[in-house]
Amino acid sequence: MAERGRISPTQATLLMVSTVLPTAILFVPPVVVRRARQDAWMSLALAVIVGLLVARLVIGLSLRFPRKTLFQYSEEILGRAGGKAVGLLYIWWFLHTGALVITDFAALPCIALMPETPFIVFFILGIAVSGYAVRGGLEVLSRYNELVTPVSLGSIALIFALLTKEMRIERLLPVFDTGAISILKGSATPAGWLGEIVLLSMVAPYLSNEAEVARVAYVSVLAVGACVTAATVGTLLVFGPDLTGAWVFPVFSAVRSVVIANFLERLESVAVSVWVFLGLAKIGVFYYAAVLGSAQWLGLKDYRCLVAPTGVILLGMALLCPSTAELFEFAQGAFPVYALTVFEVGIPLLLSCVARIRGKGATGGA
Amino acid sequence: MRGVAIILILALLAAFCGGCWSRREITEIAIVLGMGLDLTPDGRVGLSLQIARPGAFYGGGDTAGGEGRVACWVVRGEGETLEEAAAYLAGKVPRELYWGHSVVLIFGEEMARRGVGAVADFFGRKREPRETMWVTVAEGRASDVLECHSVLEKTSAQAAAFLVTMGLGTAVRFREFVESLADEGVEPIATRVTVREVGVTPCPGEAGAVGPHRQAETSGTAVFRGDKLVGWLDQAETRGLLWLKGRAVGQVLTVRVPGKPEGWLSFRARRQRAEIVPRLEGGSVRFDVNLVAEFDMVEQGGIGDFAGPDQIRGSERLLAGAMEAEAGAVVERVRSAYGSDIFGFGDAFHRKYKREWHEMKGRWDEEFARAEVRINARAFVRETGLLTIRAETGRE
Repeated sequence: MAERGRISPTQATLLMVSTVLPTAILFVPPVVVRRARQDAWMSLALAVIVGLLVARLVIGLSLRFPRKTLFQYSEEILGRAGGKAVGLLYIWWFLHTGALVITDFAALPCIALMPETPFIVFFILGIAVSGYAVRGGLEVLSRYNELVTPVSLGSIALIFALLTKEMRIERLLPVFDTGAISILKGSATPAGWLGEIVLLSMVAPYLSNEAEVARVAYVSVLAVGACVTAATVGTLLVFGPDLTGAWVFPVFSAVRSVVIANFLERLESVAVSVWVFLGLAKIGVFYYAAVLGSAQWLGLKDYRCLVAPTGVILLGMALLCPSTAELFEFAQGAFPVYALTVFEVGIPLLLSCVARIRGKGATGGA
Repeated sequence: MRGVAIILILALLAAFCGGCWSRREITEIAIVLGMGLDLTPDGRVGLSLQIARPGAFYGGGDTAGGEGRVACWVVRGEGETLEEAAAYLAGKVPRELYWGHSVVLIFGEEMARRGVGAVADFFGRKREPRETMWVTVAEGRASDVLECHSVLEKTSAQAAAFLVTMGLGTAVRFREFVESLADEGVEPIATRVTVREVGVTPCPGEAGAVGPHRQAETSGTAVFRGDKLVGWLDQAETRGLLWLKGRAVGQVLTVRVPGKPEGWLSFRARRQRAEIVPRLEGGSVRFDVNLVAEFDMVEQGGIGDFAGPDQIRGSERLLAGAMEAEAGAVVERVRSAYGSDIFGFGDAFHRKYKREWHEMKGRWDEEFARAEVRINARAFVRETGLLTIRAETGRE
């Protein structure tokens, strides 16, 4: 077995929150608000439902194949060749999404803070630090995350609390202004993000009590949904739909707008620390999934030898992004469709149907 | 061997940890405190920047001793676009411009009349200027505001920002200005700033002259339609506007008591809110505006008892009437003279009648001009300060 660590359900929940939330909170609000305007919260609610359905698929598979990751049970379900093909696709997707997350991670400092510093500096730093955690194993990654996530979410909540005097509830009215089509369109991007809960299939086997997997999945999807909705609505209440849709990083701009009594202001340094803390965790989860998946795909006893080469591949892939315009177009437009149809719903659905038809795995699973 | 390698690596890393990349030493940057935009005679953009001289800020308090050290420097660049003008300034300012501390954005009158949408984009897109800076329009040239001198503050840009923050007039942050530029249901406003003779410098001070002192003051509201300045409101009209916006806290309202010579009373608003209720009846639009304000009595001119419950009730009626008159006058004036919906009637209508709004927003200007506006104010007097009646009242 490549991974010997065990993590508690709480750690797993926080890890799953960090798998989805960090980039979602920065990249999802503008695109949802552009499509659904002040009805963005409805789009997000729809996306949470999609996220819960994906979570349901993952839970079913994990309970059916206890102590097995996606890579292991796909071979059991589809046979060796089919399983390897699915595994290869997921290795690609983890690497691709990992590279996307690294580019996202670098985008905020590069665009908003340190324009003279090239992207590659943030790429290398991000990969090196999270690679160090990945090398330490799932337990190390989880403990790091357990340490930073509560502090990070607390700080962001506090900053939004300080913004309440700038908020006006009228900015959310009228409700249902744009129509059902726009709201549905708005839900595509957040649904793609929430579907990343599928990575739980790489972590679930190492839960100290795997029966808890359902609670972990549902709680993390709901928590992420609540946080993204709160950030989006909070930003809408400060800026209104036109301006929220125009900012590159509306949540960051909202944090910049805090002015309390002429001295409590310029809090964006706090937001940037949060971004770095959580961004590293998110890179770590995808990095870990790619490394562990590759090791299991190759049948290696230890995955640590793959950490450095995978880091180099991630760096190379991240460097392929030619401009921030391409990054936003892909992350907010193409990625949700690509991720949702194939990796978050398509393959898991196929796997659970085939498993049921062929009667593989424990019948206790849904 | 391994230990030595680690020590070497750490030593190497330490060399890179000096924080030298993207660093900005205070001695190498020029801190922009205020920005002014004027139209040049040939129709290009003139960008005036008030730049701090950090040396003059040391020590706090007055720059005592009559050294005549001026705390700032104003430079101007021109270009087809703002970024061109800023790039041109790089040849005049020997340091890197740092925009993050600029507290006020001033549009010159001509620039504002031509339209500010395109130049507002620059400040939203640029990473350093804050969303929270104040937006003002200068009567005349913006550079005049930056070039004048403040007696109490270090620089005129800071003085202008403090005036907007502390004063009782219109105060609009950059993000609010841009939001109302984008919003179809409300037109933008900004603080009006004028350079006038304000006060007297009694002995040779920093300005070096005895006598009347010219400096910037806030003098009302700049009214936009779309991104173009269409006119001004003076300070009395601005108060009417603030009642309608629900932002009139601190305003002082004076009423005359009927039948009493010199029987005036002054009240200060301590809480205030406004609600616009649109009604659509048979194709015609009506707005009921409900104003609510709580006042403290702050000054009594006439002799008599105005602090009893009955008298307070009388004052409340007078105050409500005064609020209605002020708010109604400004609505009529802005509608007839400027045709601009700075009050957000369109937004209020949109919130209640979203389907009708999407059909009417193309001809909203006409609908707004035709709409009936009914203003209904309620005033409450909460306290009378440390006195109940004026002390001489007992002799009456």
